[in-house]
Amino acid sequence: MQTRSGIAVSPGVAIGQALLFGAEGFQIPQRFVSVDAVDSEIGRFQSAVDAVSAGLEENQRVASERLGDEYAAIFGAHRMMLRDRKLIGEIEGLIRSKCFSPEFAASRVLRNYAKVFQNLGNPYLAERAADVFDLEKRLLRTLLGEKRPELSHLTEHVIILAHNLTPSETAGLDPDFVLGFATEVGGRTSHTAILAGALELPAVVGVGNFLADVSPGEMVIIDGVRGEVIIDPDEATLAKYRASLESQKQENARLAELHELPATTPDGVRIQVMGNIEFPQEVAHCTERGADGIGLYRTEFLYLGSKTEPTEEDHYNAYRQVLDSMSDRPVVIRTLDLGADKVPASAAAFYDEIDNPALGLRSIRLSLRDTPQFKIQLRAILRAAVHGDVRIMFPLVTSLLELRKAKMILGDVVEDLDDAGIEFKREVPVGMMVEVPAAVMLADEFAREVDFFSIGTNDLIQYALAVDRSDPNVSSLYRAGDPSILRLIQMVVDAANRHGINVTVCGQMSSDPRFIPLLVGMGLRTLSVTPISIPEVKDIIRHVSVEQADEIARHALALDIARDVENYLRGELSRIHPDHSPVD
Amino acid sequence: MSGSIARKVLVKGENGLHLVPCSQIAQCAGGFDCEIQILKGDRTVDASNIFDLMSLNAGHGCQLELQATGPGSDEAVASLAELFESGFQGHVKRAD
Repeated sequence: MQTRSGIAVSPGVAIGQALLFGAEGFQIPQRFVSVDAVDSEIGRFQSAVDAVSAGLEENQRVASERLGDEYAAIFGAHRMMLRDRKLIGEIEGLIRSKCFSPEFAASRVLRNYAKVFQNLGNPYLAERAADVFDLEKRLLRTLLGEKRPELSHLTEHVIILAHNLTPSETAGLDPDFVLGFATEVGGRTSHTAILAGALELPAVVGVGNFLADVSPGEMVIIDGVRGEVIIDPDEATLAKYRASLESQKQENARLAELHELPATTPDGVRIQVMGNIEFPQEVAHCTERGADGIGLYRTEFLYLGSKTEPTEEDHYNAYRQVLDSMSDRPVVIRTLDLGADKVPASAAAFYDEIDNPALGLRSIRLSLRDTPQFKIQLRAILRAAVHGDVRIMFPLVTSLLELRKAKMILGDVVEDLDDAGIEFKREVPVGMMVEVPAAVMLADEFAREVDFFSIGTNDLIQYALAVDRSDPNVSSLYRAGDPSILRLIQMVVDAANRHGINVTVCGQMSSDPRFIPLLVGMGLRTLSVTPISIPEVKDIIRHVSVEQADEIARHALALDIARDVENYLRGELSRIHPDHSPVD
Repeated sequence: MSGSIARKVLVKGENGLHLVPCSQIAQCAGGFDCEIQILKGDRTVDASNIFDLMSLNAGHGCQLELQATGPGSDEAVASLAELFESGFQGHVKRAD
């Protein structure tokens, strides 16, 4: 058993077989074969060894001609390893005695050898582990042949372990078969992490190098609360997690009963609890949990999934689908927020060149640069708005000039639609994300020109604390509980209240149970959270009076370091509602 | 002839018994009918097993002992000793 730690990005526990999704993308579909099949599976293994051996021989011949015997010798050595009697004996032994599939047996034995090399304390020999992995790859590729299943066409329950999953790969995961995932890279608020939350898959990212320690098909546990990947768990651990999986189910059932109940504090203050979504299909996750609306509808998926830019109809259809499901409840559509960690495949090359994408051409900056594309989206929103309570929100607004430009373009679109005699809604509320410290400083000025604010804590924290949230070296410095963050939020809330406009928090901070009493105490009356968190957030609100919340906020705002704030809030939460004390 | 024979050898070459030398030893040893073992201190490995040879972690200048038992022991030990002596140069056999 091995436990590896990463960043918890999507809560829950998953227990299942590992499906490795490395750079080569090959994976082992099956860990065991039936007893009757053992002989034919051994035959299949031997044929694979012959085929790989022949391939290596050919490589050796070619390398010898082109580069000389000295270079060709490496392939001869690989062939010697492959033909090693003890190695073959061990693999065939596992197939015969344990009914392992040849793929699983070969991978397991070769990885054990690789580990031996890595642990000899000789850097040169440690590097030879790479030769063993190479041999494993060749064998697996041959054994699996054309049978390699696509990620989107799985046929059995698996846990995906990958170096990295792109947002589109994550979006393509089939939730019927994928129980959870873990990646070597990625950060708490990377787009992949957000998607994991959207798909409600337990997930851990930023684990660091660990794929070499796992054999495909091996039993793994993803602990999406602690942020751990447990490889080959022992019986006691397995039993513990199975029990936790069971209590998780029971807790979900309990929370599900809350869906009809409003998020009203014991002293009668109604808090609007909305859902953050990305995909139209997620609306169901919100409605079935009794969301008061969609507080953040991200529209990037329209761009990330496809190779071509989405048409006005693509936008319109997606928006209609959401609006139709939400009937008269509000839906806040955020215009394109591409760039930084959300880059469409078609523009990946462009973004690779940028040193500092978080500070580059992204979000509203991109929309103001590419006006035709921006107008297409705005037209679709205004047309769809006829069918529900739509609000438009601009992301990453930094200066008043940007806001005015965006509103001017919106005005142009209104005129165009008017001229063309197309049905649309004229009076759509316009708001902005407050996620750049500059916008916080100018909150009073902005409040005069928008209908609402939505505080995007993910970016606000990143920009205020100067922490790249996806860099594991500094990700621990990314703290929502930092006193500076609390004060920034308070400034925005106060400005909104002075000008009588609505203000929401839609970042991941508002999905964290610890911060709910604080945010209510700071004056927020609308929260927009990950759909899975809706019942929990409601439950907490129903247990904390505004008076209590005010006291908590007053106390928290007087503390001067993040750790003290977070510890205090954790303590208060367990006092208010022991069921929600985080398990750490 | 058959019997048991032993001989000490020195590891030459900058990287010691790395992948290619081990493959040469294993290939050479595999060509004989006798049982050949290589000893480093108190560790003994099968000379025809490339993984075991590598796990000896025998660096440059390391002293090893070759032991062979069975038919062709003399010849086997002599061939292997020659391989060690040459520093594993010029003995790369082509696969064909």
